[in-house]
Amino acid sequence: MTALGAPKQAGGFQPPTAMGIVLSVVLIIVALALSFLLVQTAGLVALIGIIIGGVLIGFGVHFVPVGGAPAAMGQSPGIATGVAMLAAGAGLAGLFAGAWAAPLGLAIAAASGAIGGGLLMAITCTMVNVIYVFGMGIPAASGKVAKDPITGDTFPEYKSQGTEGHGLPFISWVGGVIGGALGGLGGTLIYLELLGIYQAQLPVILGATVEQIAPVAVSLAGIFAIGMFLVNAVLAAYNITGTIEGPHDPKFKRFPRAIIAAAAASAVAGVIALGLFQLLGVF
Amino acid sequence: MEEIIFGIGITALAGALAAVAGAAEDTESDIGSQGDPNSQVQLAPQMGYVHRIFNKAIAGEPPAYGLWVALGAGLAWAFMAMQINPILAIVLGSALAVFVQGVYATTAYLGRTASLSKFEQPVYIDILKSMTTVTMAHAFVAIFATVTVCHLMNGALGHPFPLPLLGLVWGIALGAAGSATGNPFYGKERQYQNQAFGAGVPIAASGNIVRYAEAGQRNSIDNGFFSAKLGGPASGICFGLIVFFELWRTVVFEPVAAGWGAIIVGVVVILIFAIIDRYIEVWARKTFGPYTTPEEASS
Repeated sequence: MTALGAPKQAGGFQPPTAMGIVLSVVLIIVALALSFLLVQTAGLVALIGIIIGGVLIGFGVHFVPVGGAPAAMGQSPGIATGVAMLAAGAGLAGLFAGAWAAPLGLAIAAASGAIGGGLLMAITCTMVNVIYVFGMGIPAASGKVAKDPITGDTFPEYKSQGTEGHGLPFISWVGGVIGGALGGLGGTLIYLELLGIYQAQLPVILGATVEQIAPVAVSLAGIFAIGMFLVNAVLAAYNITGTIEGPHDPKFKRFPRAIIAAAAASAVAGVIALGLFQLLGVF
Repeated sequence: MEEIIFGIGITALAGALAAVAGAAEDTESDIGSQGDPNSQVQLAPQMGYVHRIFNKAIAGEPPAYGLWVALGAGLAWAFMAMQINPILAIVLGSALAVFVQGVYATTAYLGRTASLSKFEQPVYIDILKSMTTVTMAHAFVAIFATVTVCHLMNGALGHPFPLPLLGLVWGIALGAAGSATGNPFYGKERQYQNQAFGAGVPIAASGNIVRYAEAGQRNSIDNGFFSAKLGGPASGICFGLIVFFELWRTVVFEPVAAGWGAIIVGVVVILIFAIIDRYIEVWARKTFGPYTTPEEASS
């Protein structure tokens, strides 16, 4: 405790509270039970897939190096935009790729989603360094660590005066690609689970063939996948509070809290998406 | 074979359109200070630096472009359903979306600037009249090009997502690519042109943005003129490469090894970008050298 009585500000690890864990576990169990009641075993399996997808997104966002406003002035390292926005950009590009590969099966679609997200981040992170180096004449330097854990480059002497570092060191680049890949994988997983459920339910409800309902099923699954992606990305952004450099940043250790929150949020959002038609039927 | 050649042609066209969209998007957001540098435009009057820079940042670029491109794509989709020619439908949809962007820009500028009245920052009506139309013109180019890319993905390449959903996905990706690449160039290199080249802006200098031009006071059209030279094209290359590689690996290599071909090529492309990035990083360290000796830095 400080002299003012305020709780100590922990920059790095902030463990989840017991209350948070209990509440999340209860929410997840209730959601799993509801999914079983509404859509039987298929619903239960799909909701587990959705929860895994949501957790992957929440975890992946912590890898993405985001510098926010200070990065736009070369005052801190990272990409000069918001956490949730950049993660959403990468994850949705992954979802685009995964949805395209959906007819080829779960494994290829999920891998394609991961590569789609990773590819967007690889190109974006490289272009960030291109603009820093060739547009502004500034080398990359981390503000959180003295040495790059991958390349061994030292940073303190490459930090310009009055700043906390700038650009994207290689460890941040790698973190960005991993984050984009996890986001794309998670988003695709949610999409595929929902698509499977809608493709089974809609022909019965609408009395039509699988081909006829395909546009409705794809649109609904896509919209819910994007929505759940944004929920998990924003939750993780709240956990990060502001900026993060990547996996080497002390804030990265906060991820267990985001994983629990993402699992609970995905379970609640997922059960509504899965039981959409049953819930609509009630009204 | 013909199908693949057709696909490659569409991919190249989509990549080129995406490059135009990225360049227009970044220039638009720089004129409107919509990226992260908006914090400095908003901070400057509070530090005593009254200015004539346009500021319409009430949402980040990715969600704002997600809205406008999804709106343009949705309207174009509706017009196409009414049997209107696709090109005309995309033009009409984009034009209507741009009106929404214009309303957004006007209310955002008035709201953000009026909130600074206690710091004696005036709301310049001439700025509102001249800048809003310029951002609308750039936004039209960005929205039209992105909606066309989405239409090509859906109509010519057979992506299962409907046009409005593709608009949302690629609008957000466009904003993410444009803000990531273009923001530092506008924020550091233009707003802080008075600071030393080749170094970050010291935190103590925050808010002291450049407010004077060669003649008279600087405005956001001057800023657009500057960032259109490098920040805009670099953002265009970034978004163009993303769209091109995303489509190219699928169109050409998906038939290989039951779909795994596209994934392997994707991994190879990522590794190539890793090598390029590392080369640039090492080149910068060697060419620019350290700011201080290692002993000084660690002391």
